[in-house]
Amino acid sequence: MNSMRVNHHPVLGDLETHKEIKIYFDGQEYTAYEGDTIASALLASGVRTLRFHEDKETPRGIYCNIGHCFECRVKVDGKKTVRACLTSAENHMQIESCKALSASEVKGGTL
Amino acid sequence: MIDVVIIGAGPAGLGAAVAAAEHGLQVCVVDEFVKPGGRLLGQLHEEPDGKWVNGIEEAQKLYNQAIGLGVDIRCGISVYDLRKLENTWCVYTTDEMIESKCLLLATGASETPIPIPGWTLPGVMSIGAAQVMGNVHRVKPGEKGIIIGVNVLSVAIARELQLCGVHVESILLPQPGLLAGSAGNPEKMMESLLRLSHLAPSPLIRMGGKWVSPKLGARLFPKNGFKMWGIPIQLRKAALEILGDNQVEGVRMAEVSANGEVLPGTEKTVSADFVCIAGGLTPMAELASVAGCSFCYVPELGGHVPLHNEFMQTNLAGLYIAGNITGVESAKVARAQGKVAGLSMARELKALVYGGNEKLYAAVEEVTETRRNALIQFQPGIEEARKELHRKFDETYKQKLVSI
Amino acid sequence: MSEKPTIVCRCEEITMEEIQETIEQFHCSSREVKLRTRAGMGSCGGRTCRSVIDRLVEELGGATVSNEVPLSYRPPVRPVSFGVLGGAKE
Ligand SMILES: Cc1cc2nc3c(=O)[nH]c(=O)nc-3n(C[C@H](O)[C@H](O)[C@H](O)COP(=O)(O)OP(=O)(O)OC[C@H]3O[C@@H](n4cnc5c(N)ncnc54)[C@H](O)[C@@H]3O)c2cc1C
Ligand code: FES
Repeated sequence: MNSMRVNHHPVLGDLETHKEIKIYFDGQEYTAYEGDTIASALLASGVRTLRFHEDKETPRGIYCNIGHCFECRVKVDGKKTVRACLTSAENHMQIESCKALSASEVKGGTL
Repeated sequence: MIDVVIIGAGPAGLGAAVAAAEHGLQVCVVDEFVKPGGRLLGQLHEEPDGKWVNGIEEAQKLYNQAIGLGVDIRCGISVYDLRKLENTWCVYTTDEMIESKCLLLATGASETPIPIPGWTLPGVMSIGAAQVMGNVHRVKPGEKGIIIGVNVLSVAIARELQLCGVHVESILLPQPGLLAGSAGNPEKMMESLLRLSHLAPSPLIRMGGKWVSPKLGARLFPKNGFKMWGIPIQLRKAALEILGDNQVEGVRMAEVSANGEVLPGTEKTVSADFVCIAGGLTPMAELASVAGCSFCYVPELGGHVPLHNEFMQTNLAGLYIAGNITGVESAKVARAQGKVAGLSMARELKALVYGGNEKLYAAVEEVTETRRNALIQFQPGIEEARKELHRKFDETYKQKLVSI
Repeated sequence: MSEKPTIVCRCEEITMEEIQETIEQFHCSSREVKLRTRAGMGSCGGRTCRSVIDRLVEELGGATVSNEVPLSYRPPVRPVSFGVLGGAKE
C-alpha cells in the first residue's frame, strides 16, 4: 500500500510521519495521510479517474493540480464542484466521482 | 476597512505582504491553494555552486516573516470577482467579501497546453501538476513517465521527478503542426534549451550555449537524443498520440527531421503510466481583466499582461500587480517585484516615512538586478520588453496617477 | 496524422476541426470562435485552452492578436454556488 509515496528524497528529506485517516471514494474505503489533498490521497492509492465527462462520458483525472482546469471536480459530502486538487482530505470524508449527466439534464442547461 | 488585500500567497504576494506590513499596514492575503507559497512550493534548484534551493523552505521563511508582522493569511479560499466602489476595493471570495483601500493581484501564471490525441486520459497532466504532486504532496505522479515538450521548465522538472524516484523515460517534442506551434519545432526548442546552458551538466548543451547556433544545434542533434542526468532529451522524436483505454498506457512516437517533419516508417509505441505536457507558462490575469485593467500583448512576457509601471501600479487607482501576472519570470524576480508593490502601496497610503522614496527606488533597482542574475530565463528579451511596457504606461497614464 | 479530431477544449470536448472550420469560415476573433463553438466556455473558463485558441486564430488568418484580452473574462472567474453568490457563507 501507498507505494506511490515519495518516502525518501535526497534533497527534501524523509517524509514526516503523518496521521492516517480514512476517506471514501464512490463507497470504497481508502487510507490517506492528514495533509493530503483529495487528489494526492487517491493517487497515492493508485486512483486516477475522478470523474466522467458530463456529455461524452470519457474518464478524467487531474490535469493542472493547482486549481486552474477544473478537471478534478468531485462531490464531497453532497457538495458539487469541489476541486480535488485544492481540497484537503478529512477523516471520514465521503467523496463521489462526477458521472455523465442524463440527456435531460444536459438539455435543461443545469450544467 | 483593511489597508491592503493581496490575492495570491506566492513569492510575489508574500514579498509584498512583508514590505507593506513592515510599514505598519494592515494586510490580508488570500490564496486558494491548501498551503501558502504558490508555485515556489514545488521548486528545487541546484545553484552553480552545487547547493540546492528548496522552495518549500523559502516559502516557509517568507510565511514566518509575514505572520511575525501580523499579516492575516487565509488559504483554501478562491476569489471570483472584484468591484471598485469609490475608494474601496471589494474582493468577493468563497468565504466572505473583503474590503480594502489597496488591492494587489499576485495570481501567478498558468500553463499553456499542447493538445495531443489522447490528452484527456487520466494520467496525462501538465508538467507543473507532476512537480506539485511529487515535491509538495510527496506522491509520485506515476512510476514511468514521458514528458512531451522540451523547454526550460520541463527539463528542470524532469530532474525533480527523478529525485522523487520516478523513472522519466524521455522528454520529446509534440507532433509538429498547428496545434503544437513552435513547441513542435526542433530549432526553436534547441534555442530554448540553450538558455539553460549554464545549468546543464551536458557538455553538448554547455558547448551549445556558447558556440552552436540553434539551427546548427538542431541539425547536429543526435537522432537518439542526448542525456541530461540520464534522461534522454529527444529533439528529433515526436509524440503522435497518447494511448490507453481508461488511463495512460503509453505513447506512440516517431522520428522527425530537423525542421520537424515526421519520418515515415519510424513509428513505435513506448509504455508509460503517466504523461506530462509542457507547453510553457502564461500570466494569469483574469482578475485584472474583470477589474477593467488595460492590457498589452507582450510575447516576451508570456502573453497578455495588465499595463503597469515599474512601481507595479496598474491604470486603475489602488490596484497593483506583482509576480508572474506581470510576465513570466523566476520566483526570485517575483519576490523582488512583490517588495516594490508593497512599498508602492505603503506610499499610496502615506505610510512610507523618512527615506521611503529611496527605499522604493532601491527596490525597483533590486528587481532589475535579480532579473540579470536569474538562473532561469523563460524567454529572451525580457528586460527590453519591460522597459517598453513601462514607457507605454507612462505615456498613457502618468498624469492621471498619484504623483510620485 | 490529421490534427482534425484532436480535442482542443477539454471541458466541452471541442475539436481542432470545429475550431479550424469556424476560423476559416468567419475569419473571426478568438471571442467569436468561443461563442460559436463553445471552446473555452466550459468549467475552466478558458484558462486551459485560451492561449492555444488565440494562437490558432492568429495562424489561421482570423483577427490578429491585439492588446485587448481576446477571450475577455466575466465574473465569476471561479464557478461558485448560488449560496456564495448570494453572499451566504458556505
Ligand atoms: C506549474 C508551474 C511550475 C513552475 N515551476 C517553476 C520552476 O520550477 N522554477 C521557476 O523559477 N519558476 C517556476 N514557475 C514560475 C513561477 O510562476 C514563479 O517562479 C513564481 O512562483 C511566481 O510567483 P507569483 O507569486 O507571481 O505566483 P505563484 O507562485 O504562482 O502564486 C500565485 C498564487 O495565487 C493563487 N491564486 C491565483 N488565482 C487565485 C484566485 N482567483 N483566488 C485565490 N487565489 C488565487 C494561487 O493559488 C497561487 O498560490 C512555475 C510556474 C508554474 C505555473
Ligand atoms: S486538476 Fe486542475 S483544477 Fe484540479
